[in-house]
Amino acid sequence: MSWSINTAWRDSKSGLTYAAASLICLAGICTAQVGEVRAPSAAVAGNSISLSTTGSGSATFYFIGPGVSGKRGVKLGEDIQIPAKELRYAGSYLGIICEDSCQSVEFFVNASSPSRLAFLVHPSRAPVAESDAISGVVLPFDSNGNLILSPTPTDFELTAAGATVMSRRDSTQDGIAWFRANSGRSAGALQVSASVNAVQSRRIVQQVASDPCNLRISGQRAAKGIIVETAPVRDCAGNPLPDGTIVTFTARDGEGKSTVDAPIKKGIARAEISAAGPIVVSAASGVVMGNDLRIQ
Amino acid sequence: MSRLNWWPMIGIAVSAIALLAPCYAADTDQAPNVTLESAKVGPRALEPLTERSVLRDYSFAWASLARALDSNSVEPLDGPFAGSAAEWLRDTVADQRRNGLSARYLNQTHRLEAVFYAPEGDLIELHDTADYDLQLRDGDKNIYNRHVTRHYVVLMTPSADRWVVRQLQAVPQF
Repeated sequence: MSWSINTAWRDSKSGLTYAAASLICLAGICTAQVGEVRAPSAAVAGNSISLSTTGSGSATFYFIGPGVSGKRGVKLGEDIQIPAKELRYAGSYLGIICEDSCQSVEFFVNASSPSRLAFLVHPSRAPVAESDAISGVVLPFDSNGNLILSPTPTDFELTAAGATVMSRRDSTQDGIAWFRANSGRSAGALQVSASVNAVQSRRIVQQVASDPCNLRISGQRAAKGIIVETAPVRDCAGNPLPDGTIVTFTARDGEGKSTVDAPIKKGIARAEISAAGPIVVSAASGVVMGNDLRIQ
Repeated sequence: MSRLNWWPMIGIAVSAIALLAPCYAADTDQAPNVTLESAKVGPRALEPLTERSVLRDYSFAWASLARALDSNSVEPLDGPFAGSAAEWLRDTVADQRRNGLSARYLNQTHRLEAVFYAPEGDLIELHDTADYDLQLRDGDKNIYNRHVTRHYVVLMTPSADRWVVRQLQAVPQF
């Protein structure tokens, strides 16, 4: 005897009918042979399975899960084949067979093996010699886009100019592995890679010079004023600051103060300042101040 | 009519409201009840404003999911879902429509736990213990009607104006 009223007892229209039917069945009067459906204990996304049924006669089979909501006729007592295309997504599935009443089975489908990595790396440009400047998060997915939740070994490697800056093996937890690392001391491309089994993903972080270590300026009088320029501007690791970095020159004379912004070109920033008498010029870039230059 | 004669009518009205209340409570459009626990999240802490946004957008996503699968329409899925989650939900709606089936997610309660918040704030993983009444219908025939508790692993990412659900994957347990 089957307790098949379980799936429909709340139906407002037919609830009383089912309640009555259940009471009759409870009393032992019910004689109809209602089938049951059974699922395998383990299923993997993208792989076909079969559900076994008991009973006899024909029934309607419903297969409900992520990405699928199917309906077809089946013969009870025979296996029901579920093709791989109906099991693409990991998650919870329901197999329901209905004759006069319905029986159901719920089972779970797990993700298959890693096929693709989502690899989030920040930032795209990082100043050199900064602690915890670079972070990466990796999530392994199977070929159907299911997140692989079982702990999976993950290798992270950071290389610059062919040399390994950092290498670490970790394991995913709840489908995620991550790292945080210091940036290197040399400007240039830093290759960040993550590998899960044979699947690899790479990102590039451009390491750029940090703030200038110091600013030294020199100047000389010209026909229309004075020309001031910096010595080659480098950070404290000796990396030249990239072209376009702004250096601000400030000139003070008896009439007041004036400023001019000049971009670094080939490591040097240069500006022309109009001034007739004695003048004091200083320079700044970011948080760094240069020397004062006095020109008579 | 004397004042005393109103009492039976009031009693009938109150009884009628009490009887009808469960019908309204079972409406698909009822907002899901969502709570979020974020004390153990890492490596980045979840700011209160972000927490409120995640709660609001996750609740909206489930309300949209319920509407889409009840009405067999993909429109409610535009916005709150992206990636794999949007893909399988669209496939489900298309399959339901093809076979004349529909699903109702009623009386939803979601207990969320934030388990991972990326260092740069561009990804959050949640564990959702969801309770709801799941009702599956073939036309007008009820083929499944149960209160279920399901566990979902959820990935959300920020978009231009909201957090979107990218992954919604049911698991037997956390």
